[in-house]
Amino acid sequence: MIQLSYLDYSAVEGKSFLHRLSPTLKIVGMAIILLGIVTVKNLPGLFLLYVILLGLFLVSRVPWKIFSLTLYPLIFAVLFTFISGFQTRFILLVFLKVLCGSTGVVLLLATTPYPSIFQVLGRVLPSVFVTALFLTYRSIFILLTVLEETENALYLRGGLQWRHPWRSLVNISNAFGHLIIKGIDASERMYESMVLRGFEGKIHYRGE
Amino acid sequence: MSHIHFPDGVLPVWLWVSGFIVTILVGVILFRLTKREELTRRLPLLGMMAAAMILGASVELVPIAYHINLTVISGILLGPSLIFLGTLVVNVILSLFGHGGITVIGLNTLTLSIEGIIGYFLFRLFWRVLRRLTPAIFIATLLALFCSTLSMIGVVSLGISHYEALIHPEDHKGIFEFKLLKDESDHSKEAVTKDRVDLKRFIAIVLPLGFIGWILEGVITSLIARYIHRLRPDLLKLERETP
Repeated sequence: MIQLSYLDYSAVEGKSFLHRLSPTLKIVGMAIILLGIVTVKNLPGLFLLYVILLGLFLVSRVPWKIFSLTLYPLIFAVLFTFISGFQTRFILLVFLKVLCGSTGVVLLLATTPYPSIFQVLGRVLPSVFVTALFLTYRSIFILLTVLEETENALYLRGGLQWRHPWRSLVNISNAFGHLIIKGIDASERMYESMVLRGFEGKIHYRGE
Repeated sequence: MSHIHFPDGVLPVWLWVSGFIVTILVGVILFRLTKREELTRRLPLLGMMAAAMILGASVELVPIAYHINLTVISGILLGPSLIFLGTLVVNVILSLFGHGGITVIGLNTLTLSIEGIIGYFLFRLFWRVLRRLTPAIFIATLLALFCSTLSMIGVVSLGISHYEALIHPEDHKGIFEFKLLKDESDHSKEAVTKDRVDLKRFIAIVLPLGFIGWILEGVITSLIARYIHRLRPDLLKLERETP
C-alpha cells in the first residue's frame, strides 16, 4: 500500500503511448482482459495473455518497483490450491489467472490517474458511489501520512519489538486507534471545507 | 481470510453474477432507507473508515495469509447501512490492486459486510448484557469473523463443479454449467469429484488458520476500541455506561 503514492506518480508523470491512451479505451481493454480470464480455460491461452500483459508493462515503461504489486495476490492463491489436491494444471491455471488479473489492473492504475478512472465510472455508476470511491482514495493518502509518522514514532521509541509481542500488539492497535481518530477529525474538516466549496453530494471533474 | 481472495475466472459465472445482483439489490434498498442529507454528511467519514480498512488490509501476516480487516470497528462507528457501502468501496479499490478479483467484488462485499453488520449488532447486544467494553467487542468480533468465514466457505463450496471443470476441461464445456437435475452420468462424475476436488482439506486449512486470525483481530479490535473509548467515547455511541 505504501507503493500507492508511487503508482499515482507513475500514472500522472508517465509519457508512454499507454499513458496517453484515453481512459475509456483502457477500461474497455481491462474489461476484455477480464472476459479473457473468465472464459479462457487452457494454459497456453492464459500464458499468451500474460505474456502480452508483460509486454505492455515493458512498453509502457512502468517502474519495475511496481511490478511486485502484481505478485502479491499469489500469497492468497496458494490457499486455493488445497481444493484441487495439488493438481498441477489447476495450480498453474489459478496462478496464471491471478497474474493476468493483477497485472492488468496494476497496468491500468499505473498508466491512468485515479480521477480519470472515476470520471469514466461516474458515467455508468451512481454519483454517491463514485464520490465515496474518490473520497476513500483521497483519504488513503491522508491516513498513509499519519500512519508513516506514527510508525516512525513507534520505531524511534522502541514500540515495536519481537521480544515484547504483547506490548508491540498494544502499540500497533493504539496506532490504528490513533489513525481512526485522526481520520474522523480529518473527515469532519474535509466535509466542512467541501460544503464551503458548494458540495451537494456529487464531485464534479475538470471538463464536465 | 474471511473474504474471498479468489482471482477472476475461478468461480462459476452464475455465482459471481448472482453476487453482483444481490449486492446491487441490497445497496439500492439501503440507499432508499438512508436519508440523502445524512448520507452526504457522512460520506467523508465513510471514505476515511474505508481508507483505514484498506490500510489494515495492507498489513499482511504472511505465515498465515491473514490481514486485519477492521470491518467490525468500522461497522460499529459507521452503522449497519453505511458499512455496506463502505465494504463495497473497499472491495472495489482492493480489486484494483489485484487483491481479490474484480468479478468477485459482489460476493466479497456480501461476506465482508456480514462481518460488519453482525459485528455491530453483536457488540450492541453484548454491551447491553456485559457492560464491559473489552469482552463485548472481543466476543462480537470473534463471532462476526466466524460467521463471515462460514459464508466464505459456503460460497467457495457452491463452485465445486466448476473447479472440477477447470481441472478436467475435456469433460465440461461452456460457461454456464448450472444444473438442476442429476442424471446417471453425474454419479460417475461425482465419484471423480470426490477424488479430486477436496473441500474438506480446504476447510481443514482455512478454519485453523482463520481461528488464529480471528483471535488476533479480536484482540486488535478490542485494543483499538479501548483506545477510542479513552480519547473519544462519543464515537462509540454507547448507552449509559454504569448499570
